[in-house]
Amino acid sequence: MSTLTQPPRTPAGESPAETFKPPRYRRPFGIGRDTVVQYAVLAFLAVLVLAPIVPTLYQSIRNRPLYEAGGAFTLSGYTDLFTEAGFGEVALNTLLFASLTTILSLAIAIPMAIVVVRTKLPGGRLVALAMQWPFFISSLILGFGWIIMYGPAGFVSVKVQQVFGGVPWNLYSIPGMALTEAVALAPIAYVFCANALRQSDASLESAAQVCGAGPFRILAQVIVPLLRPPIVYSAILVFSVSIETLSVPLLYGQPVNIDVFSTFLYHNGLQSVDPDYTMLGAASTVILVVTLSLVAVQAKLLKDAARFVSVRGKVTRPRKLDLGWLKWVSIACIWFYVIVGALVPIAGLVMRSFTLVFTPLQSPFRTVTTKNYEIVFDSDNYVQSLWNSLIVAGVGSVVVSALAVFAVMVARRSTFRFGRAVEYLALIPQSLPGIIIGIGFFWAFALAPFGMGSVLQGTIYAVIIAFGMRALPSAFGSVAPAIMQIGGELDNAARVSGADWLMTFFRVLRALITPAFAGALVLTFVIMLKEYSPAVFLSSADNNILGTTMLSLWTQGRAGSVAALATLQIAITAVFVALAGLLMKGKHHA
Amino acid sequence: MPEVTVKNLAKTFGDNSVLRDVTFTIKDGEFFTLLGASGCGKSTTLNCIAGLEQPTEGSIAVGGRPFVDAGASVFLPPEERNLGMVFQSYALWPHMTIAQNLALPLNIRKVPKDKQKTLIHDALDKVGLADLSARYPHQLSGGQQQRVALARALVYSPTVLLLDEPLSNLDAKLREQARAWLKRLQEELGITTVYVTHDQDEALALSDRIAVMEGGNMIQIGTPHEIYERPAAPAVAAFVGRCNFLTGKVVAQDGNRHSVRLDASGDVVRVDSERPVVIDDSVTVAVRPERLEVTTAEAAAGANRLTTQVITSSYVGSRYEYDVRLGDQVVQVLSANGGLSGEVALVFDPSHALLYADKVELPEDQRDLLTVAK
Repeated sequence: MSTLTQPPRTPAGESPAETFKPPRYRRPFGIGRDTVVQYAVLAFLAVLVLAPIVPTLYQSIRNRPLYEAGGAFTLSGYTDLFTEAGFGEVALNTLLFASLTTILSLAIAIPMAIVVVRTKLPGGRLVALAMQWPFFISSLILGFGWIIMYGPAGFVSVKVQQVFGGVPWNLYSIPGMALTEAVALAPIAYVFCANALRQSDASLESAAQVCGAGPFRILAQVIVPLLRPPIVYSAILVFSVSIETLSVPLLYGQPVNIDVFSTFLYHNGLQSVDPDYTMLGAASTVILVVTLSLVAVQAKLLKDAARFVSVRGKVTRPRKLDLGWLKWVSIACIWFYVIVGALVPIAGLVMRSFTLVFTPLQSPFRTVTTKNYEIVFDSDNYVQSLWNSLIVAGVGSVVVSALAVFAVMVARRSTFRFGRAVEYLALIPQSLPGIIIGIGFFWAFALAPFGMGSVLQGTIYAVIIAFGMRALPSAFGSVAPAIMQIGGELDNAARVSGADWLMTFFRVLRALITPAFAGALVLTFVIMLKEYSPAVFLSSADNNILGTTMLSLWTQGRAGSVAALATLQIAITAVFVALAGLLMKGKHHA
Repeated sequence: MPEVTVKNLAKTFGDNSVLRDVTFTIKDGEFFTLLGASGCGKSTTLNCIAGLEQPTEGSIAVGGRPFVDAGASVFLPPEERNLGMVFQSYALWPHMTIAQNLALPLNIRKVPKDKQKTLIHDALDKVGLADLSARYPHQLSGGQQQRVALARALVYSPTVLLLDEPLSNLDAKLREQARAWLKRLQEELGITTVYVTHDQDEALALSDRIAVMEGGNMIQIGTPHEIYERPAAPAVAAFVGRCNFLTGKVVAQDGNRHSVRLDASGDVVRVDSERPVVIDDSVTVAVRPERLEVTTAEAAAGANRLTTQVITSSYVGSRYEYDVRLGDQVVQVLSANGGLSGEVALVFDPSHALLYADKVELPEDQRDLLTVAK
């Protein structure tokens, strides 16, 4: 390269440097490997998402179970549903329960978000941290905890009975269910509102202040009106989650025969001696229509709001308002919610796991024991379900996170024609009730060609597939903003330098995506460890997981062992999250 | 080194048409600049050449090799076009060292390792950064990153170099130096270069030819001299350099010399122009501030002389900038004469003014700023 020192302007056609062959990628029939991978992701997601839906629709119009030969077209499932099965009342209960839950959780979340984010509140950061508790605790475990403390024979109820001669609440009712569910779902609404408040422009408030508005006028006329979008969004989210939730309605409603959508499916599909699968299919279809239309409404409302807005640029530090003496009232209310709603039930659960008898009538410390844990560890079945849960969460989180990364890459970082479809497919499971995913896969395995279904049916793989599908939207939602924060010019630079889409991913983006992948891994591990509702229809003696085991122990009245397993699940989650946090922090510094 | 041929290029997003029927040819070894305000379609044009975007219509070929032809469904993906590109953000891969950044395109081309070493060293040497090859991008200054990005785009001897506002992230002083350096480097290498910028000074200083774009159209292609001295449209005159626009009506003609009565003040000025206008046509007279002179002395024979009042005068270093009032309009003047105030004469030569058919409609906010009460 001696031409460098004496640079004559070379005549056309003669290049001073030697040229290299530009890279060539094979494209048989005009289809490159990029296209193959992109279509493969689309096809895989389509099969995964449609597998539980299509058989459900099909079953609803067949008069015999799908696994039996024969059968003919019928609409009796739908007519039976509303005539014989009393589905109308179930729908009414569900509507009541979901509406009440939505109202209560917003009533908790909105004031809390405003007070914590926008006013001077001692210990505000601690509150923000405390609001993350539902991440560690499933609503099933919360339900156990609430019953142990506030149920008809609960620790607190009995104490109140002793002191006041009566208990002014009844947990086993629709308002009772709604209250518990609202406590569990309030943090979701809180996070949406708090983020919106944090991102809104603080100078709007400063402008109001300069115009002479006091803190309360600013709250009422500037801050709250700006909150309308997150309120609407989280209201719909909470509503749809409470339509599909199984735990609390099952635990509270079973003793008093209150059925909602999910428990209706549970009772008719699992507990009846001769389940009417046609009617079950019809019920599932109706519920699917409800949840999917809620998503459609949500999407319409959010049309203009970017769904995964990543925070960029400088963050304005909002000026905080001073509420005066009211701030102490606010603090008291917030800590009442955290302590009574979450801490006390969980503490009760942990106490229950270490005692034989847990009642205020007798000091719990007299019967302190590790017997509950011994029962768990002495039984192969229980130990097996513990291992199963860990395997499902461990294997599942890796697979789901990897799938989510590919789905985001195809949907957001490629020119693939059906990128939008990939995104929708990855997000649809969000609106599929867990129990319907379970029923759907149960039927899908019955229909699957080449006997693939019987290979999967009743195994831990079936559980991994169903749970993985449930966790996919969360993984996608966690990976997408992280990947979108990596500037698109990095890809373009690689493409122009000669890398095709796939090579760009493996040579350039993979290393940059690793933190996003790790984040999704932690998230999906915790989600899949807590998950259980799709498993109730897929479980067998071999593939029980923590949730299904706890549920069957609970129906057997063995609250001590349930408490022990629940405590173990919480402990595993906490340890895992702590370790992951440490590991990621360490890596960050390196 | 091949020439770049772009024919009838068009790009639409839904109903929004961002590029309309753009045709141009870049000669071998030429430094060709796409100049325009943001949203004018210059980056879309560049991305279409790079293959990062697909045009809706039209074709692009480099050295006779078709890159894209929307009519014939030909599309060569960016990785097979063998181009070099420098991005506005430099787009250095942050987890790789400088040497690794440069090695990636060579690895893809299966260049032997020992050969890679010399190539990387040479490329970095060209941009004066050979001793920094083990650093990571974030350990370099903005100017160094920009040179590394250039080295990465050149290390595999691409056929055409594409530069997307590469200097816009540098601070003003550094930008000027980098400009001169870039010009030298391009002349040494003789590589065909397509440069995108919104900065007219950059475009004028660097280019062999400039294409001025507006609203998805290419409104003029020419050498920097042509673009500045004979702008084809008022938009070009307004975008490249500054320009005063005075609307009026043709009242008399003598060959190529037209007399125009100005709307602002009713004065009649004479303008030399080859444009085919006739008496009673509404026209716009355009004069650049530096071609105007303010004076209290008598004007030379043949020059236009208008009576105006000084509104403001400011010293901008080496020259004075005046806003003077001509009727109800503000006229900007750059002059070596300082310290003038009150009534002054505005003087310009008929050959220094440009004449455009039709009245130029200024954007509303600009018009408000340039209007004063009579």
